[in-house]
Amino acid sequence: MEKMKLKLLYSDLRPELEMIEKELEQAVDSKSLLLNDASLHLLQAGGKRIRPVFVLLAGKFGDYDIDVMKRVAVPLELIHMASLVHDDVIDDSEIRRGQPTVKAQWNNSVAMYTGDFILARALERITEIESPRVHEILSKTLIEVCRGEIIQIKDKYKLDQNLRDYFRRIKRKTALLISSSCELGALVSGTDEKTAAHLRRFGYFIGMSFQIIDDILDFTSTDEELGKPAGSDFIQGNITLPILCARKDPEIYAMLKENLNKELSTEERLRIVETIRKSSAIEEAKAMSERYLEKALRELTFLPKGRAVKTMRKIAFFIGKRNF
Amino acid sequence: MKGHQIQSKIISMEIEVLNAVRQRTLDQFTDGPSVRESRLFFLLLPFFDGKTWSADVESSAKTVSIVYAALHAHDQIREDSPIIKEQQLTVLAGDLYSGIYYQVLVNAKNIAMVQHLASAIIQVSEKKTSFFEDEIRPIEEIEEAITIIETELLMSFYTFYGYTEYAPIAEQALLYIRYTDELKRLQSKNYTLFLRELNANLVHEIYTEHWLLEKLDSLHGQILASIADCSLDYELAQFLLHQITPHQHRAEQLTREG
Repeated sequence: MEKMKLKLLYSDLRPELEMIEKELEQAVDSKSLLLNDASLHLLQAGGKRIRPVFVLLAGKFGDYDIDVMKRVAVPLELIHMASLVHDDVIDDSEIRRGQPTVKAQWNNSVAMYTGDFILARALERITEIESPRVHEILSKTLIEVCRGEIIQIKDKYKLDQNLRDYFRRIKRKTALLISSSCELGALVSGTDEKTAAHLRRFGYFIGMSFQIIDDILDFTSTDEELGKPAGSDFIQGNITLPILCARKDPEIYAMLKENLNKELSTEERLRIVETIRKSSAIEEAKAMSERYLEKALRELTFLPKGRAVKTMRKIAFFIGKRNF
Repeated sequence: MKGHQIQSKIISMEIEVLNAVRQRTLDQFTDGPSVRESRLFFLLLPFFDGKTWSADVESSAKTVSIVYAALHAHDQIREDSPIIKEQQLTVLAGDLYSGIYYQVLVNAKNIAMVQHLASAIIQVSEKKTSFFEDEIRPIEEIEEAITIIETELLMSFYTFYGYTEYAPIAEQALLYIRYTDELKRLQSKNYTLFLRELNANLVHEIYTEHWLLEKLDSLHGQILASIADCSLDYELAQFLLHQITPHQHRAEQLTREG
């Protein structure tokens, strides 16, 4: 439902997004029936397609040509898809977006090769773009995203980490790819450097806000809404912003410490979720997300006014207020 | 080129590859990148044989090695492992190495090679996945899948730089190494997906063993013939033979005249 609302916000882009959807299907076409099935399974599970949307919107500030824009939008979504299918192996996830994951439907190996295949398709496609700058940004982003995930695993179950660790991690894990989507969209449409920089920063701030909200929703949503157990981040040892805010209370800190890295019953899990939910942590985390949102909106004020800015502003507000 | 010079160049390339992908957390919790000497040898074979070789070619050879390491990391992911750090980081190691191969080629301004390697990775992934298909396929298709898995990345490098004259010998040698390994696994009842499919196809593992032994014999003959065709010098040919049978001395099968 909420995803539908989000899609309504960029309904102006519907014809282009339909084209991109078709391109995505073509991109994952494979001689291997199994790879084909696994990739389509992943593709058809849907998604917000927020990265292609930002590529296209950023392109509106330059010489917009959908045939050029799609050469960046499609690979970026493919890169995101490849990382999701591997993330499900890392997290041993059975369900994503209410559907069985590739690893659950087939197995870990098939998930690994599907991810490798999709990433290779992304690189095969992006190399149609000749601009060295595009490749410099994208290759750096790919590496930083992986480093972010490596740090996330290294920092698992460390309740005493600081806020800076968290922000550095979510920057690499989420914000960079969204930021790069905006910057690459700007670059391939030939905008000036200043505009590209504002768009990059907008993407970065919105990505930070998006991830914080995601981390909040892990505690404030129900299992049904999430399509996975609420509090999954905590169960998996991912110390997110709500936990970092909540641990200031010595009682909550003791409870978190006691239950971290422990097999939890549903009752115990829900008790932790409820404690975090009732604490001031959620509001504090929301305030931080809000600050990033404000920064994102400020970047938009430096851009030429028009429909693209309006849509970006609406998406930004939606991300800040979303409850899915 | 002398044997010790060949060895030294391989070691220096190995160090370069390891340095390119080094990451502290991965070093701490995973087995680290797999950089096989035999693959490095065949990547460097045109250089050893005196072919034109530039910094650009060397950088590409290095990236092929990085891609092999990336894909190898993902081959290590097990079905039955619980969520342990090592397995999680091995997934990410493969992804990180893929990003690094892209960046190394971008820095070398060699985008065409990125595309070439990506196409090879697609084929390798397709063939690796083929071992999970339920359908029974002819033995030739299984062989073709193994050939692509073992050689496609190297072949894409040879094709890109016009070193295709080494393709037959490299393919024969890499298959020889793979089949030798599979034979050992078969004898120790440590069945791979390839062995399981061969066993199913050939009905009984005794026939699989025969099949592998025949393949090894035939490939060995082909390798000797290819060494003669490529006119490799004596030391280089010796080194090559050592790659495929590191614990045996096959010098008696090769005279200084080849």
